[in-house]
Amino acid sequence: MSAPTVAFKAGRLFRRGDTNWVDPQPEKGVVLVTATEDGLIQWQWKNRTTNALDEDLLIFPSDTTFSQVAQSAWGRTYVLAFSSSDQKHFDASSARDDQIVHNVNGVLQDASFEPTWSTPAASSSSAAAAGSSRDDTLRRLREILTRGGSASAAGLTVEPPSVALSDVLTPANLAPIFADEALARSLFPFLPADLPSPPTPATLQQVVSSPQFQAAVRELDRALSTGLLADLVRGLGLPASAGESAEAFIRAVAEQAGSGGEERMDTD
Amino acid sequence: MSGDDDSSGWQLTESDPGVFSELLRTLGVPLVVDELWSMDPDGLAILQPISAFIFLFKYVAGSSDASGGAGGAFDPDFPGFFAHQTVNNACATLAVVNALGNIDTEMGKDIKDTLEFARELDPQSRGMVLVSSLFLREAHNALSPPSVISLDGLNLPKRTEDAYHFVVYLPVAGSLYELDGLKPHAVRHAPVPSSGDWTGVAAETIQARIATYPPGAIHFSLMAVRPDPLPMLQAQLVANPTDEVLLARMAQEEEKRQRWAFENALRKANHLPLIHALVGALAKSGGLDAAVAGAKEKMRQRRARGQDMDED
Repeated sequence: MSAPTVAFKAGRLFRRGDTNWVDPQPEKGVVLVTATEDGLIQWQWKNRTTNALDEDLLIFPSDTTFSQVAQSAWGRTYVLAFSSSDQKHFDASSARDDQIVHNVNGVLQDASFEPTWSTPAASSSSAAAAGSSRDDTLRRLREILTRGGSASAAGLTVEPPSVALSDVLTPANLAPIFADEALARSLFPFLPADLPSPPTPATLQQVVSSPQFQAAVRELDRALSTGLLADLVRGLGLPASAGESAEAFIRAVAEQAGSGGEERMDTD
Repeated sequence: MSGDDDSSGWQLTESDPGVFSELLRTLGVPLVVDELWSMDPDGLAILQPISAFIFLFKYVAGSSDASGGAGGAFDPDFPGFFAHQTVNNACATLAVVNALGNIDTEMGKDIKDTLEFARELDPQSRGMVLVSSLFLREAHNALSPPSVISLDGLNLPKRTEDAYHFVVYLPVAGSLYELDGLKPHAVRHAPVPSSGDWTGVAAETIQARIATYPPGAIHFSLMAVRPDPLPMLQAQLVANPTDEVLLARMAQEEEKRQRWAFENALRKANHLPLIHALVGALAKSGGLDAAVAGAKEKMRQRRARGQDMDED
């Protein structure tokens, strides 16, 4: 399968029976929006615990739009609305994510759309929603639900990352470690094997300040924010849950360091 | 941003003199690439002899319809080597090969054979031969980070990045030529003196080109391709072991090679084990809690300001 054009962590909301209420579900998942070879759009919700694709839709371009319902009690709530049928899918994506909405709608209009992530979040839809009262929220939800017929309303409650590795692994935070001879030496085996001269504590400082290393940490942060890194972290001797977020990763490594004592960690 | 999504297995690389020089070394070519900060004759004098210039630029976001760079005349009968760029990510290597095809220099067997074979073809076919060339692609990809973290069953959406556009300037058959893989033909500019310095003409032409872009419309860089000075410096030092000027230049060159080797090692490395080890070391040293608390606060502030983490 080709790589998704847009992916973001999200939970789902389901309609409560025949009522106009939607309830959030506890399962953590991720939405994957992928352009297929024939110019269609694949909309999938993958359960991050079981890795199962619990939702798998094939959508025609322009058939759907992804829009914010309004502020709801469970974080930002969005709906994938079908213009050509009665189907409604509730996706709540959170935060950063005026960009997500923009990019998702871009793909839904045209499968070959290329997302852009470079600009800071625009204020448009969140500003509009800011004034909504709870009543407005319920009214809009009711409007959408009464038009709907499908039993699976999926809402996504995206969890934005609480911490970034790139803010933890700063040269300033790491300097005390490099000043400790024994700790510094224990890190030498993890440096690139083909450095031009034998490593010293100064080398460690240089490496963590380098653009290449910092780009790698940012890449890992990005990857961890999808919550899909179970396999990768298992390779480091960590439990699968360590791949759920940056915070989970940090906690798991800390536990591993505590329990392992002076034992060297698995290298890749 | 280009609409060309087909990377055909060519990874995006950095445009850095150390990357280019390492690529040339891998191809068995005794040339190096240096970044230029100016094109005035004194600045260039230290680097002479220069075999080619590489002008690289990209449009600043929002100014993609700024025009510039026209000048000279297309030469459909260009007697030298010119190949079209057919894969975006290969642009840097393509520029290097376009230069190599017109410079009289030693080179490794693979690239030599490929150039000889490609010489018989038209520019478009030459371009396709080059991007289909396995050894060339491997040499190119060797200098980008391994995809351990971002790919590998993750299906993480690829971040598209704007690639720099590369243009080569060098003398062929008495004229200054511009080789741009995205143009249909080589472009002939002014005549160059048959013996002596062609770089003055090139400097004028390139500076005139830069002046055609609206201010702030492009980010650009200039590089010089020249024979590796180390062997000659070493030979000269043998004859004059205490020559201060030679010693200083030698030290400078060696420091530069060390830096390039360091940076290239970092480019090729999988940093995940080190990241893992650093978090563990922070935990062992007792500094992790404070670091995480500080990081969480930074994240809160960033969110409050409405900023996105995904900046690069």
